[in-house]
Amino acid sequence: MVKTPRSPSGPGEPVPEPLRAGATVLEVLDEGGANRRIRVRVEGWPGFAAGQFVMIGAGPVMAAPRTDPLLPRPMAIYREIDGSGSPDLEILFKVGGRGTALLSEARAGDVVSLVGPLGTPFPGAIPGEQAILVGGGTGVASIYQLARERTRVRDGSVSVLFGARSAGDLMGVDDFEALDAVAVSIATEDGSRGSSGLVTDLLAAALADGIDSSRARVYACGPVGMMRRAAEVAKTHGIGCVVSLENHMACGFGVCLGCAAPLSAGGFGLVCREGPVFDAEAVAWEGLP
Amino acid sequence: MTRSAELLPENVDSAVDLAGIPLRNPVLTASGTFGYGAEFSPFLDLTRIGGFVAKSLTLEPRFGNPPPRIAEAPSALLNAISLENVGVEAFVREKLPALPEGVTIIASIFETSIEGYGEVAKRLTGVPRVAGLEVNASCPHVEAGGIEFGQSPSVLAELVRTVRRSTDVPLLVKLSPNVTSISEMAKVCEAEGADGISLINAVQALEVDVETRRPVLANRLGGLSGPAIRPIALRMVWQAAQAVSIPICGIGGIASAEDAVKFLLCGATAVQVGTSNYLNPAVAGEIADGIVAYAARHGFAKVAELTGALLDPVGPPQS
Ligand SMILES: Cc1cc2nc3c(=O)[nH]c(=O)nc-3n(C[C@H](O)[C@H](O)[C@H](O)COP(=O)(O)OP(=O)(O)OC[C@H]3O[C@@H](n4cnc5c(N)ncnc54)[C@H](O)[C@@H]3O)c2cc1C
Ligand SMILES: Cc1cc2nc3c(=O)[nH]c(=O)nc-3n(C[C@H](O)[C@H](O)[C@H](O)COP(=O)(O)O)c2cc1C
Ligand code: FES
Repeated sequence: MVKTPRSPSGPGEPVPEPLRAGATVLEVLDEGGANRRIRVRVEGWPGFAAGQFVMIGAGPVMAAPRTDPLLPRPMAIYREIDGSGSPDLEILFKVGGRGTALLSEARAGDVVSLVGPLGTPFPGAIPGEQAILVGGGTGVASIYQLARERTRVRDGSVSVLFGARSAGDLMGVDDFEALDAVAVSIATEDGSRGSSGLVTDLLAAALADGIDSSRARVYACGPVGMMRRAAEVAKTHGIGCVVSLENHMACGFGVCLGCAAPLSAGGFGLVCREGPVFDAEAVAWEGLP
Repeated sequence: MTRSAELLPENVDSAVDLAGIPLRNPVLTASGTFGYGAEFSPFLDLTRIGGFVAKSLTLEPRFGNPPPRIAEAPSALLNAISLENVGVEAFVREKLPALPEGVTIIASIFETSIEGYGEVAKRLTGVPRVAGLEVNASCPHVEAGGIEFGQSPSVLAELVRTVRRSTDVPLLVKLSPNVTSISEMAKVCEAEGADGISLINAVQALEVDVETRRPVLANRLGGLSGPAIRPIALRMVWQAAQAVSIPICGIGGIASAEDAVKFLLCGATAVQVGTSNYLNPAVAGEIADGIVAYAARHGFAKVAELTGALLDPVGPPQS
């Protein structure tokens, strides 16, 4: 196999070969509400490209093998942070079901199984790109690295629109605000932070504000309804939209065929391999659960 | 028969013969859980395992069911992928050449008509890299109103007869567990000329989301796999082993070498690892090593001697 450089960021660059490892938990931080930040160390981590994800065990490996919950959970690679020698990984997640609850109880020194990096990353920027990133709920975890990379696009701009039910559900806002030259706006459904309403309303307002459609691109990750609406809003302004889908997965590397999403050209695309990043036009939205 | 002297693992002969297919060790990976093999090369040296059974093939490429196709169940996976595959031509032209030399490949076939199965078998006969065929009998038989081929003894007999006439390569028939008598189905395969049987395929199951009051899968019914089904699979392998003398490949919920050894002791010549490949893509190699370690620890000079080595103080088993 060809060895590839760490963290490719340009289009068409090969992505690193995935590995399977026991990741050592460094810490699990409470981010308020049900949100958690887990930091793990992976021996030999090959780097990743923005938009890629890992399959992480539903809770730490125990002395006696545990079979329930059985499946690993797909999680976006939020970012790399400085580690000793190779970088450590950070993942932001929300405790919802049993797997994420067990993961939130992991303690420093515990080992979680991990396979990654997986999936096809975000495409390269268009020249002078005006990137508008839309993150709904935990979807923001998939776009942090992208926001970071887009700040390096010459003559470009980056704005990030956050959407959540309530202020307590927002994750990662401080990290995005700490990035140079990233404009952050927030919408909450209950109005507890930022403007009151849906993040797609924020998007509609941002695009109505006069934007150079030849240089603008929308990136959306979140609930299916939100991504679909974001794509519609972008389209009415003649702007392309790229989405990152979150279908249920069993393997994450293209063998179970469980993650298939219907495509507008007919047939299905594997979200774990052809995705999770898709051009919104390529997705047959009415067929997504 | 008790054995006392422990051996060194390197002194254990791990090779087995499965229905005329020589295997370096008794660990295969199960159809539909190992893709077309190459997907695993970042994680596992494919020559470390006995071989793999590729995703079941139809004559033409096919799409599967709409999503959701999978759901988690207690210690199990529920799936309804259906017939999705690249088709037999693309398998022969693109998938086989991508695999390194020295990897033992068993092709799996399914179709919606008996003639279709025969056609796919013919197409795969004489293809140099294909060491054997496995007939997936857990497919809905369109003419018979959608019941699985493997659910009716007469349909299964006709299916095995037709495929047997179409090919001279080693032929395994993979049995559905959704039957009243697995022994009867095993006997049908033996009588119609199968060289071996593989069991079990996924167990038909249903799961419901009470909040939405809907079945969790778009297809409603799915196949249950993973550790939850292992004791059911073990029971069926044990029963089939009493009923036939052709070799048996044991499948169902195998996650460790210990699990695999149970199947060998109950009469299986080899095993297939399925759902566990998703959780740990290197697990089949670890299981292969673990079986050898077990054999060494218990003084078996050949892994093949584990087959049927169950000690049963009660006497001849009841069917
Ligand atoms: C590519 C990708 C990246 C993701 N990135 C993140 C992230 O960075 N942070 C984050 O909090 N979440 C992320 N998710 C969603 C995350 O996978 C689910 O929230 C998680 O699997 C739920 O597990 P659970 O144990 O809480 O739920 P349970 O209800 O116990 O899960 C049961 C089963 O359903 C699956 N499942 C349930 N909800 C989802 C969902 N929304 N998406 C996919 N599978 C689901 C589980 O994986 C499991 O197989 C991502 C999903 C995908 C596909
Ligand atoms: C997602 C999925 C797809 C499968 N596809 C096939 C298939 O194409 N052909 C086949 O014979 N069996 C198929 N199977 C069944 C497995 O080969 C195996 O018989 C079953 O999963 C039980 O073994 P396990 O518990 O180790 O997974 C599939 C199983 C799963 C989970
Ligand atoms: S998650 Fe298994 S193929 Fe995509």
